[in-house]
Amino acid sequence: MTFGSWVCLVAPLAGFLAITLAGTRITRSQAGWISTGSVFVGFAGAVVAFLDAWGRDAEQRVELTTAWTWLKAGEFQVGLELLIDPLSLVMMLVVTGVGGLIILYSNGYMAGDDEERRYFAYMSFFVFSMLLLVQGGNLLLLLVGWGLVGLASYLLIGFHHERPSAVAAAKKAFVINAIGDAIMALGFFLAIAHVGSLDFGAVFGAAESGELSDTVVTLLALGLLGGAVAKSAQIPFHTWLPDAMEGPTPVSALIHAATMVTAGVYLICRTHLVFEAAPDVQHIAAILGLATLLAAGVIALVQWDIKRVIAYSTMSQIGYMFVGAGVGAYGFAMFHLVTHAFFKALLFLAAGIVIHHLQGEQDMRRMGGLRTSMPFTHLTFLVGTLALVGIPPLAGFWSKDAILSSALDQGGALGWILFVGGLLGALLTGMYSLRLYFAVFHGAEYAGRHEGVEAPHVEEHGEGPRSMTVPVGVLAAGSAVAGLLQIPGVWHPFENWLEHTVEPLVHASVGEEWLTSALAVSLGVLGSLLAWRAFTAGRELVPEGAIRRTLEHKLWFDEIYDAAFARPAQAAAVGLRDRFETPVVQGGLDEVAEGTLRGASATSAVQSGLLRTYALAITISVAVLALIFLVVR
Amino acid sequence: MQADEGRLSAVGNVLVWAVWIVAAGACLGTGLRVVTASNPFSSALSLIGNLASLAVLYLLASGEFVAAAQVLVYAGAVMVMFLFVIAYLGGRADAPWAGGTRLIQTASVITAVSLLSVTFVALMLNAGGRLSDEADVTRAFGSPAEMGGLFLTDHLLAFEITSIVLLVAAVGGVVLGMRSEAEALADGDQGLQQTVARPSEDAA
Amino acid sequence: MSGPGVPWYLAISAILFSIGVAGVLLRRSPLIVLLSLEIMLNSANLAFVGFSRLFGEMDGQVFALAVMAVAASEVCVGLGLIVAMARRNLALDVDLFTELRG
Repeated sequence: MTFGSWVCLVAPLAGFLAITLAGTRITRSQAGWISTGSVFVGFAGAVVAFLDAWGRDAEQRVELTTAWTWLKAGEFQVGLELLIDPLSLVMMLVVTGVGGLIILYSNGYMAGDDEERRYFAYMSFFVFSMLLLVQGGNLLLLLVGWGLVGLASYLLIGFHHERPSAVAAAKKAFVINAIGDAIMALGFFLAIAHVGSLDFGAVFGAAESGELSDTVVTLLALGLLGGAVAKSAQIPFHTWLPDAMEGPTPVSALIHAATMVTAGVYLICRTHLVFEAAPDVQHIAAILGLATLLAAGVIALVQWDIKRVIAYSTMSQIGYMFVGAGVGAYGFAMFHLVTHAFFKALLFLAAGIVIHHLQGEQDMRRMGGLRTSMPFTHLTFLVGTLALVGIPPLAGFWSKDAILSSALDQGGALGWILFVGGLLGALLTGMYSLRLYFAVFHGAEYAGRHEGVEAPHVEEHGEGPRSMTVPVGVLAAGSAVAGLLQIPGVWHPFENWLEHTVEPLVHASVGEEWLTSALAVSLGVLGSLLAWRAFTAGRELVPEGAIRRTLEHKLWFDEIYDAAFARPAQAAAVGLRDRFETPVVQGGLDEVAEGTLRGASATSAVQSGLLRTYALAITISVAVLALIFLVVR
Repeated sequence: MQADEGRLSAVGNVLVWAVWIVAAGACLGTGLRVVTASNPFSSALSLIGNLASLAVLYLLASGEFVAAAQVLVYAGAVMVMFLFVIAYLGGRADAPWAGGTRLIQTASVITAVSLLSVTFVALMLNAGGRLSDEADVTRAFGSPAEMGGLFLTDHLLAFEITSIVLLVAAVGGVVLGMRSEAEALADGDQGLQQTVARPSEDAA
Repeated sequence: MSGPGVPWYLAISAILFSIGVAGVLLRRSPLIVLLSLEIMLNSANLAFVGFSRLFGEMDGQVFALAVMAVAASEVCVGLGLIVAMARRNLALDVDLFTELRG
């Protein structure tokens, strides 16, 4: 297990270093293959580790391997250690597997771009950072991985750096992530102060045993939640995700759908003992998840950009995962994470094929009728959409309903609110997903496209190179069957796999599960029908008016943040600059410099060049010195 | 004149005093003349007089060798050099008093006077008492033999370095005096090449 | 010692020194400046000889001799400079040589 895990971690890093150091000595496509290969090697390592772990008993599936002691400050020390247990193995497989497929896809998608090498270097770097995050054996390494994925996200969102909108989006993502990181770091400081260590065992043990006071545990949990919320783009730190679509489509698929944004869910599952010791915070997590789920769902109803719709969908689905983690159904939250990785990545990549085919067009209103010209993409996209909505037997059905039934099992006011909200979300999911599907693939060919801009004929070019279609196909297959890992009442390999590591708090009965499924599916189908009705009637699901305007402005979050934080900060900065920096600091420095110059020119006037003056000065000095010696002896 | 070392008869003492006063007076007088004369020739001649009177003072202080060296080297060689240069410069050496700002002039005078006073005060205050007991000296004091002995034993380094300094000065003097070929031709003299070439022409 | 004691010699030396200093600072012709320098050096020599007589050690006179040698070398170079200046038809005036100005 250890060997496989180390290979898994190091291979993408090696790929990144190889591409970076080779520079222009390798061709662009070679860089792509190096990156793809390195991540697939990592996947092989993860598989090896997984098989090894599978062969063991449940209790023995945990391994903590230390490379060396990294940091030592008095009593506090941190080692470079990896924790391999079923939870991290799940993440490792997802990250390297889906990541590998996406990077393979990128070979085709990014072909021809001038800076491909940089792209593939960043992608390998991202995979490595994500693996470090999930394999980290203590909170500090997790934080390191956390920060590095934030960096990778920034680099990749702003990949097309000549576009000001991309640069701004990258900055926005980074800043909001940094806010979350800071909150998390504060929590960690608290942990160091009260527990003296950042090792998982020490912190979780202290939280569980009641050693720490309630306040401390709550604050620690809030710190963790803050970080998770920012990274996973939940309300209130969600505004960066839609803008992050400025990055290339594979980036959106990998980072902002399958892996990085799910890191928050992983974090909550990993640190669930802390949350369980502060149940209020856990409930807050669930509520935030619910709020995001609904908000993103309604906003997605009015978006026109393909990628934005899918981005809001991601936000919404992660809301589901937070709900699951919030009620203690960690296994199901992770299950939804896995299935979501499949179908969301699929949706992004298929959308990427469409965008690529239409030479960069992303506006839904300018697409249409692609069903006939792009059959393969159409089929896979449909599979992804239906999986997202939760239609059996596709993956989303099994995972989403598991979460909802857990919420039902939770009971109490919170449980009921979550349950109903979640069902509502299923309705919304149906509506926006099918709206997207119909707009892109049905209706008149290229409805509303500009005159004179022709798309290339499929017969000449095919729907895309093999490197793009194969991953999409694999992901489609995964979206179809991955859900079958967990059939309530029949077999639960996934649940069993994670049970020992993250004991769930709730156990839905079979009856509850089937009831939930029935409700969820019906609502999903209802939503799809509503979307179909609207499409055929040629009108929008949300009519014009105040509501639509609010949704178009994404519930005014950006405007509120701008007014509450950005403008005051800017005003303060400008004010400080004008009132303090320029006159006092700069002026002070200028004064010093000028003073020095003035002093220098005054002093240099002494050097008149007249020899006699110099001689006089020397003689006077001698006389003065003699006088001094006389007095002082 | 001396009955034995260190003790003179009254007449001898008076004589010594007289000689001393004359020499000192000449020394100071010529010194002033050097600094104040406008004609450089007068200045140089006054300096010769100064050197000579100093030599007398050295004699009275039992520095016979130094006195002799003073006359030979200083008055004999250095001043001759000076006179040569003054003669070469001719009219260009004239040195009138004009020039220098009031400030510098007054400052210089004040400085000189204050230096003098400080020296006096320093000497008198610090060392007044101790300056009166001169050591007893033998007749050999100040003789060339003693001098040579010291030069070759205690002060060998000073001796050697002095010789190097003299060498450097000689080289420096030659370098400063050299003229380039262009300058020489401009002056109307033949260049070195021509001068060297001439004997062969003569021979032919 | 018969005749005036050492303090008298030192007094003469001091007065001569200040005369020399005044000469160096007040005169404009480099030639006269050099001559004044000689006076200063000689005054130092006189002090050396005086102290040598006071302590009965000949080291003072040895040093006076060394000073003489050095003075001779310095005069040689100084006069060389003056001749070089004259050869280039520069006016012999120390106030005109201001290339050391800052």
